[in-house]
Amino acid sequence: MELSWNLLGQLAWTGLATSSYYALFAIAFSLVLKINGVWNFSQAGIMVFAYYGMYTGLQVLGLSTPVSLFIGLMTAIVASIGLEVYGFNILRKRKSPVLTYFIFTIVLAQFAVFLTELIYGTAPTTLYPSLMSPVFLVNGIVVSHWDLQAITITVILISSLYLYFKFTHQGQSLVAIADNPPLAEMFGINLQRGYIIAISISAVFITAGMYLFGTKAALFPSTPLLQLLIFSVIATIMAGLGNIFGAALAAIFLGLFQTFSILIIPSKWQILLAYILIFVVIIFFPEGVRMPKRKIKRHDLNEIID
Amino acid sequence: MVNKKNLKLGVSNMGNLIPNLKVIFFSSLKLAIFSIFVLSFSNQTKAGDTLKFGVADPLTGPAAIYGKDQMQAVKWAVEDINNAGGINGKKLEAVILDHQAKPEVGINAVNRLINVDKVPVFITAFSNVVKAVAPIANRTKTLMLSVGANAPIISSLGDYVYTTFPLADVDMNKLGPYMYKNKGKRKAAVLFVNHETGIDGAKIFRDSFKKAGGKVVLFESYEQERSDFTGLVLKVKAANPDVVHIHSVIRDFTAIVAQMRQLGLKMQITSYQTAFNPKMIKQLGAAAEGIIVTALAPSVEDNANLPGYLERWKKAYNRQPIGLPYTQYFYDAPHIIARLFKKVLSEGKEPNGTNMRQALIDIKTFDLPLTNRVVFADDHTVDKPVYYWQVKNGKFQLIGKSK
Amino acid sequence: MEYIISLLILTGINAILATSFNLILGYGGLLSIAHPIFYAIGGYASALIGIHFSVPVPLAILIGGLIAAILSFGVSLPSLRVSGDYLVIASLGFQLGVLHIINNVEFTGAASGLSNIPLLIEGANRSKLSLLIVIIVLVVCILLINWIVKGPYGRAITAMRNDETAFSAIGRNPIQIKVFLMALGSGIAGIAGGLYGHFFLYLSPEQFGIFTSAAFLTMVVIGGAGTVWGPAIGALILTLFPEAITFLNLPVSVMAPLQGVIFTTLVLIFIFFRPQGMIGGHRGIDGLAVWSQKIDMSRKPEKK
Repeated sequence: MELSWNLLGQLAWTGLATSSYYALFAIAFSLVLKINGVWNFSQAGIMVFAYYGMYTGLQVLGLSTPVSLFIGLMTAIVASIGLEVYGFNILRKRKSPVLTYFIFTIVLAQFAVFLTELIYGTAPTTLYPSLMSPVFLVNGIVVSHWDLQAITITVILISSLYLYFKFTHQGQSLVAIADNPPLAEMFGINLQRGYIIAISISAVFITAGMYLFGTKAALFPSTPLLQLLIFSVIATIMAGLGNIFGAALAAIFLGLFQTFSILIIPSKWQILLAYILIFVVIIFFPEGVRMPKRKIKRHDLNEIID
Repeated sequence: MVNKKNLKLGVSNMGNLIPNLKVIFFSSLKLAIFSIFVLSFSNQTKAGDTLKFGVADPLTGPAAIYGKDQMQAVKWAVEDINNAGGINGKKLEAVILDHQAKPEVGINAVNRLINVDKVPVFITAFSNVVKAVAPIANRTKTLMLSVGANAPIISSLGDYVYTTFPLADVDMNKLGPYMYKNKGKRKAAVLFVNHETGIDGAKIFRDSFKKAGGKVVLFESYEQERSDFTGLVLKVKAANPDVVHIHSVIRDFTAIVAQMRQLGLKMQITSYQTAFNPKMIKQLGAAAEGIIVTALAPSVEDNANLPGYLERWKKAYNRQPIGLPYTQYFYDAPHIIARLFKKVLSEGKEPNGTNMRQALIDIKTFDLPLTNRVVFADDHTVDKPVYYWQVKNGKFQLIGKSK
Repeated sequence: MEYIISLLILTGINAILATSFNLILGYGGLLSIAHPIFYAIGGYASALIGIHFSVPVPLAILIGGLIAAILSFGVSLPSLRVSGDYLVIASLGFQLGVLHIINNVEFTGAASGLSNIPLLIEGANRSKLSLLIVIIVLVVCILLINWIVKGPYGRAITAMRNDETAFSAIGRNPIQIKVFLMALGSGIAGIAGGLYGHFFLYLSPEQFGIFTSAAFLTMVVIGGAGTVWGPAIGALILTLFPEAITFLNLPVSVMAPLQGVIFTTLVLIFIFFRPQGMIGGHRGIDGLAVWSQKIDMSRKPEKK
């Protein structure tokens, strides 16, 4: 197969644009892992709620885009806060082991999927009646309005988050909670409030990601759980637990890798690489492929203090 | 020190205060579980004056987009048969179960149809389930009619397994030469979903196109759950075919076509009956124009009952059925079964699976309301003319036919 | 009647799987969720051996179990390097990876599944005899685990779980125990896979994914994680109850999601309100936490 600059350029551009929602989902997942300390597989459920909130607004009630987005966002935030306050908080107080969180989050995600199937049926849906968006050419490379929208939204959200963590008091207190919860508490930071804020931010990223995804492809209630979540997990592991922006980068890298690798590997083996990656990375690079400075692991510290 | 504000929502606190409440709750839960078991076993269908047949279809889950309309077709068929007098005065009854397109659920469902509802014949769809339940049909000597699944292996799944729907080798064997001869295509790219239906169908198309004289420049599979096909589409672009055949499920077809058109690929697209979906046209808009799809059920030109059937859909649901050709087969299947019952009963035999099967073999040729004639060959295959439809001005229009 | 027997066979197989899973998770302390993949490996191996070589089916099943046990090193060895949530994810990667291979390789039938598997038992009483065999295997399995756990080896396991460092210090090898328990549990799962394949005669990769992992975990938790019989009871409930719901004459088009909603709600209720499971003895203690706390597994739990 001939590789022209045009082809590579197109792959790079479209690949980058479609990695946008992967980056958003990875940030959401990584954020909850870092601050709330949970591998949140129920993110798939929140994703479904965010999507169907928007879908209800747009297609069922015929409301405008901003209003529907708002509905979707509120649904996601309320669900996330509920998850943290009535779910994680209880398990945390009980000092439940990892597997309990695992069962809980997966079963909750399944519950969300079934509930949505019950209400909306199991046919695939899109947010708008049409999937097509206007395109124009830039130096022979096809650029669609969707691509621009995706990249813009993602850049804005990620930079806002970065600024938030770096320059606001609230953001910094979240980082403190992530690093060392008991110590943060001693300094007067309210843990519960921090958890709620973190998971709400995660909900914002989820809603944005689902909006982008839902305007590009049709989905079933089971799509996030079966397909989208695994990327976030891999990206989070590759970047190292606790590296949120690294996770976003890893997600973009994975998206581009998947796009480009089709030139060399048949599609069906690509995802196998992803699984091998999970396996290898987490065993040999538990701190992440980039090997940041060694942080004391959360459970070690908790054990010392308790 | 600072006050710790902990939200005491732990249920353990509630438990300490009201221990009895927990006990009561769990006792009642256990009682509820027990009563559901009891209720469920007493809640079985009572033997009556009806002639029953089973239906196991994906009614929920990602494969179910057509299932609901197919069930409506079955129900209307049963209604129509009963309104016309039934079978020697007895009413026909369909026992419908959902198998979610999952083999394990299908096995349970079919076991239940055979052992609990005691049906001598059942209809099912979806290749993986068909393969999983075939052993049960053969072992229990229950006649099994596969309607809609098209994996070629279905014709060799056993004595009691028959298909009323042509298998993939029928339409895909004809599409290749059609695109070569009638549409003048010379270079084909074949994209297919990485599971049985996709793999088998794609191979047959590839072979038939090559045999007709064409060249296959790309033969590439993709995972069912995938939604971004940029790389795949660009590979197609690089291969420069004049026709792209997509052997997909449903949602992937829409995504691939959308992404192809967005990236400026304008060449001819073809697919098989699963893409016969008006909703897909809506989602794609102008991008759907020109798509050619094969269908194995006759059009209004070839079938006098079809306009009335479409009218019925319009009146009841104000739309066309999703997967129209499939629903035609599902409407006709109960008619086949009714004829089998009639023959067996009029010969004074018991309506069990073995006799029903013999009746099928004896009658062999059925003239059916919506799919015209079906002939059950000795090798369990069914051959039908292939109809070609093309999207023109936002609607499917008939453009050709191969016998 | 046939339908019920078939259902009971499935229940029995699930009970074998849940019990062997408990052995690995609870007694071995290995946080692997990859149990379904060993179920798959055993099932596929046994089926393929039965199809391609003229080996008697029982032997094929045993070989399948052995292959599963050997491949369990794929998870027990990594556990030497990582633990806790890392191991959960690593085992997930292993499971999904192997499953993906099965799903894409012609030899195993790929996504179309494997059929034409030889029968374990032929003849008229096939189902009843198969049920008998499954029950016997289940009972043997439970007794075996009970014997291991309550005997001197069980005390060694407790010692290892309570304080691994001290355990090594007195010259015992914790690695040996972990690897052994993993291999035994996975081997049993493989045998269960063989039993499944040679009765239901069809295997497809979709039955062995992450939802199946969650299902087995749920069986263990609902039954009672800190007990020997608990997982089997959990398997009973989790296999029969969803099927029972389908008899309630609910509208067919919503049956599956409704069944799913009812079912997952119950699981969530159990996790929160009765974490010790149906027969778990340690009141109020999260079933799975029973293992991570310093509790002597070889003694009976006190009734409060």
